[in-house]
Amino acid sequence: MTEKYFKQELFPTIWCAGCGIGLAVKETAKAFKELGLDNNQISIVSGIGCSGRAAGYFNMDTIHGCHGRAIPVAEGLKRANPKLNVIVFSGDGDIVGIGGNHLIHSPRRDTDITVICINNQTYGLTGGQLAPTSAEGAVTMTSPFGSKYHPVNIQGLILANKRFFYARTTVFHIDHMRKCIKEAMQFKGFSFVEIITNCVETYGKRQGYNNAYEMLMDYKKNFKMASGKDRLEDNEIGIVRKE
Amino acid sequence: MTKKLLQGNEAICLGAIKAGMKFFAGYPITPASEIMHFLSRQKDIGFVHAEDEIAAINMVIGASLGGAKSMTATSGPGFSLKQEGIGLAHMMEVPVVVVDCQRVGPSTGMPTLGSQGDILQSAHGSHGDIFPIVFYPNSVEECYKYTIEAFNAAEDSQSPVILLTDTSTSHIYETADTEEIDKAAKIRQRTLEPFGKGTRHFTGLAHEKDAPKTRDSENYKRWIKRTKEKQTRAANNYSFYEYMGQKDSDTLLVAYGITSRVISPLRDRFAIFRPIRLFPILDELKIIAKDFKNIVVIEQNEGQYLHEVEVLLKRKIQGISVQGGEVKLSGIEEQLKVLGLE
Ligand SMILES: Cc1ncc(C[n+]2csc(CCOP(=O)(O)OP(=O)(O)O)c2C)c(N)n1
Repeated sequence: MTEKYFKQELFPTIWCAGCGIGLAVKETAKAFKELGLDNNQISIVSGIGCSGRAAGYFNMDTIHGCHGRAIPVAEGLKRANPKLNVIVFSGDGDIVGIGGNHLIHSPRRDTDITVICINNQTYGLTGGQLAPTSAEGAVTMTSPFGSKYHPVNIQGLILANKRFFYARTTVFHIDHMRKCIKEAMQFKGFSFVEIITNCVETYGKRQGYNNAYEMLMDYKKNFKMASGKDRLEDNEIGIVRKE
Repeated sequence: MTKKLLQGNEAICLGAIKAGMKFFAGYPITPASEIMHFLSRQKDIGFVHAEDEIAAINMVIGASLGGAKSMTATSGPGFSLKQEGIGLAHMMEVPVVVVDCQRVGPSTGMPTLGSQGDILQSAHGSHGDIFPIVFYPNSVEECYKYTIEAFNAAEDSQSPVILLTDTSTSHIYETADTEEIDKAAKIRQRTLEPFGKGTRHFTGLAHEKDAPKTRDSENYKRWIKRTKEKQTRAANNYSFYEYMGQKDSDTLLVAYGITSRVISPLRDRFAIFRPIRLFPILDELKIIAKDFKNIVVIEQNEGQYLHEVEVLLKRKIQGISVQGGEVKLSGIEEQLKVLGLE
């Protein structure tokens, strides 16, 4: 049912067994389907990272640019071609780390694009270094004694704008994830969907998880669904928006 | 004939508009800012004052893929920041125009004085091997003309084209007859289908058709060969240069940009070759240089183009470096005396 959105000849994907990125990719395609969108009405723009490889699997015109620069590429694309639904699909290191400056300014300009940010709390592709999103105490390749820093407040960055759409969800909550993506795409202006995703190989195992299942069960246990709120608590998933 | 008084940077804008530019993104920097100022006032051009030069180059890449002829403009510090994006456009084969108005020095240098220190960076500034087409006008009228040609060459080569100027060429006010140039100007139409029509994947990874090929050495070798040939073929439609002066002198002076104008009185005594397409370096220079015992490259840097010319000619040549943002004929004449060439 979502087959037409993928270049299936390129499967299997590059992602590790147990990786959550594929779940997010699949729900994104389902959202397209439910919104009744044709392939030629959509474009995906990715940066660099495991998540960044998503663009290449979508069966439409897509871009896989420089590390951290998916948002400005998408902004240029949207301004030149306003009819397209332009979607950034990329990692937390890409969007919030190296590309952080664009995450301040593109929402300020209220660029009409949707950013789907795969937050696996690490730099997956390069082997699991500390990301700005890593938890305090996280043991990574560049924080062997545990991170000393509080993770970046992505919600705060988005909510700082005059108008905003911010959703947080996880790859365990697939129906909610799809709802978030759909509503984000329907929002006129800059919309942001943060998807908490399990990277068992380069992050989870270093935090004491044995497999993807354990990480997903933790998402199930730890995250509470919230609605009608002005701001999500750290353990909440939901949508906050201001028109 | 209608002559207008224009600034170099204004002429670049008018040339871009004539060429059909529909999107511009930039970040302010002396001596390029007038380009932004001018274009921000144009109602039918997409314009973004970006958060930085990295955003600007990436926006113009996205806009070009979206279907708009696109340009960005900057000076040295911003040109450094744009290099990764220029490499991306080259790898993905996206036509864009990047203007670099050169000022003095590495880092912040001397912001308000002109220079020619980014010559090698314009061709080799991005990592990996890239083969960009680079133009360098030396007057207001030429700023107009070669901006149009930069857009044409970008379409022809499906790649980023660099337009160099220096503070003087950007800031000088001169009369220009743009209508006369328009009569001869050919505007190349787009060949790249705008997004929303296909299933193309534009990636900075090595690739074959629409799929990344990250470990295929043979594919990469084919790509390099094909790209180099493509760039050379496109560049050959734009072999712009000027050859003037005393062609029976035994000395050929090579200069470009504002320096070529400062030395123009020397044409009574020397032959002068002025490349307008700096890269790929003009083969014509090889033929012309044969007739001369001495070749002297005069430029506002430590011999950047001298090195390229030496590699082309496969012989030792001489150079005069003009440093510090001041280029005076008297100083160059003195240097020629030191070289025993007066
Ligand atoms: C300018 C630049 N710096 C560094 C890299 C190396 N690099 C590739 S992916 C990556 C991190 C990716 O992390 P994230 O965006 O979180 O994506 P993930 O792999 O976790 O999905 C880095 C540092 C690069 N490609 N380009």
